[in-house]
Amino acid sequence: MAVSPLVAPPSSLTSPLKRQPSQQTSSNGTPNFGTAPLSAAKAILGHPQETSTSSSTPPSLTLDPIEQMNELEKRKYVKGRKLGEGTYANVYLGHSRSDPSALVAIKKIKVQAQYNDGLAPDAVRELKHLQELRGHPNIIQLYSVFSSKDQNLNLVLEYLPLGDLEMLIKDVDRVRYGAGDIKAWMGMLTRAVWFCHENYVLHRDIKPNNLLIAADGEVKLADFGLARGFSDPGWRMTATVITRWYRPPELLFGARHYSGAVDIWSVGMVFAELIIRTAYLPGNTEVEQIALICKQIGTPTEDNWPGVTQLTQYTVPSEITPVWGKEAYMGRFGAVGSEGVDLLVKTLALDPKKRITAREMLEHKWWRTEPKPTRKEDLPRKSGGGGEEKMGADLKRRNGVLEEDRGSKVARKLDFGAMK
Amino acid sequence: MAGPPTDKVNRAFPLDNFAINNTIPRSTSQHHTIRVDSEERPLPTDIIPLNKPNRTTKFAIMASRKPPTTSRPGGVIAAPTTTSSGLPTLSSDDMCPICKTIRYLNRDMEFLINPECYHSMCSACVNRLFNDGPNQCPYAGCHRTLRRKGFRSAFFGDLSVEREVDIRRRVAQVFNQVEDDFQTLRDYNNYLQMVEDLTFDLVNGDEATKRKAEGELQAWEAEHKTEIERNRRAGKEQDEQSRRRLAAEREAARQRRLDAIKEAEEEKLEKIKIKEMEIDSLERGGPLPDQQRVQLKRRGNKAVEAAANLATAASTTTATAAGDGVGKLSIRGLKEKKKEPRPEGPYDPFGGLDLQPSRYKIHAGLKHPNVDKYRGDQAHVTGGYSFEEYTSRAMFEAFAGLGVFIEDEKEVGIGLVASEVVGMGAAMAAVGGDAGNRMDLD
Repeated sequence: MAVSPLVAPPSSLTSPLKRQPSQQTSSNGTPNFGTAPLSAAKAILGHPQETSTSSSTPPSLTLDPIEQMNELEKRKYVKGRKLGEGTYANVYLGHSRSDPSALVAIKKIKVQAQYNDGLAPDAVRELKHLQELRGHPNIIQLYSVFSSKDQNLNLVLEYLPLGDLEMLIKDVDRVRYGAGDIKAWMGMLTRAVWFCHENYVLHRDIKPNNLLIAADGEVKLADFGLARGFSDPGWRMTATVITRWYRPPELLFGARHYSGAVDIWSVGMVFAELIIRTAYLPGNTEVEQIALICKQIGTPTEDNWPGVTQLTQYTVPSEITPVWGKEAYMGRFGAVGSEGVDLLVKTLALDPKKRITAREMLEHKWWRTEPKPTRKEDLPRKSGGGGEEKMGADLKRRNGVLEEDRGSKVARKLDFGAMK
Repeated sequence: MAGPPTDKVNRAFPLDNFAINNTIPRSTSQHHTIRVDSEERPLPTDIIPLNKPNRTTKFAIMASRKPPTTSRPGGVIAAPTTTSSGLPTLSSDDMCPICKTIRYLNRDMEFLINPECYHSMCSACVNRLFNDGPNQCPYAGCHRTLRRKGFRSAFFGDLSVEREVDIRRRVAQVFNQVEDDFQTLRDYNNYLQMVEDLTFDLVNGDEATKRKAEGELQAWEAEHKTEIERNRRAGKEQDEQSRRRLAAEREAARQRRLDAIKEAEEEKLEKIKIKEMEIDSLERGGPLPDQQRVQLKRRGNKAVEAAANLATAASTTTATAAGDGVGKLSIRGLKEKKKEPRPEGPYDPFGGLDLQPSRYKIHAGLKHPNVDKYRGDQAHVTGGYSFEEYTSRAMFEAFAGLGVFIEDEKEVGIGLVASEVVGMGAAMAAVGGDAGNRMDLD
């Protein structure tokens, strides 16, 4: 994996480095250092019983410095009620101890049995890339990381109470938005992706679910559990990333050397979904997904994508559909205007080399045409709450999975409230 | 000069601007202590033309804001003086102080003044002295250069009033805020007070105060040019609006009158017609019941029609009244907050970020054997692998550490106090070997 060029703040470095239970570490030949740091640790820790997040085992006097830092970090936040629970992680509402009005979301990643020799790779990925991408307004902010009892990893994330884009897209009856709103949301999404790519990070799971909305309406890209740095030439990357509906053809065909273009396809899919308010290419299986792409966008052939037939999993329906031109999209996606459709078509180029890049997207004419993007304060938001729960649900989810997968097997819960 | 229409005089006074419930704090007592002891041009404010009684009430208000007029026991009517000190009063029968022509000799004699110094002289003198370009004021001791263009006939008999009105007009042009521009009435009153103080300084102050006030006025004018212009235009618009509304009302009234006349005439005709018909029917022997009914019906229709017309007319007038009333109807105390319209620049798709490398430049076609051997690789090409992205990342990583200074990093670290970090660092160094081993395992 590519080595992060940024110097990481020490706070978040501590946790992933810890691989063994703390008791072992401290008894494992940790030299008994001088009294000064020890007394400092005692002063800082004070009364550990006070803290709701503090571990049940009282910190031993032989705490090593990494544990001291961890305790310090942990004491900065107070964990509140649970927002969501999943097999992979629990999400809690929390706030800063020094300022109770500063709300945070604490994502507690559970220890997973299959990764008993260390942290789950998605937790490491999330941590690593979130701390690299700090400071951009359209990327969820990682405030801190600490470990709690049983080596659970806690990520202190920005609290985003207004739900996600999927919620707005799906609520056709109550949420209405126009071309200016789509432009504003797309602008924020594209900036987030551009920032990731400029910092050599592939997100690999862009979908409306992972676009959370902050209290001021700003859209934030979250869930970096599948993210990775750009690979070196010759290094193979896994092709089974990105939720199926948003997965680009090169990944469906099993390409192992890809680039930021995979994220751009997902952005295009989100763009289309924002316009038609339903998933554009909702394939139930990978084969069906390929078939949908071939039908709606065009069949990838050697003509429009040289070498595509050589890809390991290249299988297309026998009936070959030519690649649709811009005019074919105008009917269904005309709401964003001619320039908007032009941008959409460019993001949905089959050949990843011909696909537009995030930087080129931002240089597109569409942003400068009327209507102007809506100011983020004026963007439509869902009334009646539910955003907190949605954030909890979004953060606890496993990455790259459609929730519908589960729905096909398990009976849905009947919602009598909605039948009024 | 004949007495001007009173409404004109009223409008010339910005004093009317004061809100009704305005109470002027008498804190500016220093104004009232200024004595205009015959300086260069003492102002004969006590000279109030008695032949224009319709104005005296107004002037009394003004005079109350001036230095006590009793300081000069100079009688009620001062004879026009031709001395350099003092503005003479124009009266219909005085003589030109320059050429000494009297009205008896020249019936059409007209006195002109120049707002530079308000020294009056007859039009013949003006033509004689200033036809050949700018010249000095002929009054002894007055060294102002006057131009022919600046001369005009005075509106007021009392030239000090003329001068004050001019000054007030000028100040009002600069300070043209309206009450709506202020959040509270108090703010507005304070503003009015400030303007009035300045005006007073300009009108009645001594040389130094006058100069100071003049400077302030000019500074304000220069500073708030756009705002003044905007207010001026807004005021003009409002005037235009009210003028239009008045015209529309007049027009509507005229129309109503015409309609009424027309209706009366029609009714008259109808009556005559009916009478004739009645006579006809009587002639033919006995009224025809059918015809009678038709007549009645027609009359009824007319009445209904008229009622409907009346109703529509009423509704339209109320509608126009409501439409016009929008600007007029205002509730005191419901001042909308003055919000600054934030100038919204063009949308920046990049959100104001520039992530172009600043420390190096990436040249196309950088070569490295380890990279180049994959350039032709089918899997890389088809999958969309970008070698430009790789080069850019390699360059970035090579240069990444160069802009990092440990001193700065300490501060932005995890929010610990610097001394703590040092302590931690020492402790970390103590377990360094251990941590290092684990790092290798990664």
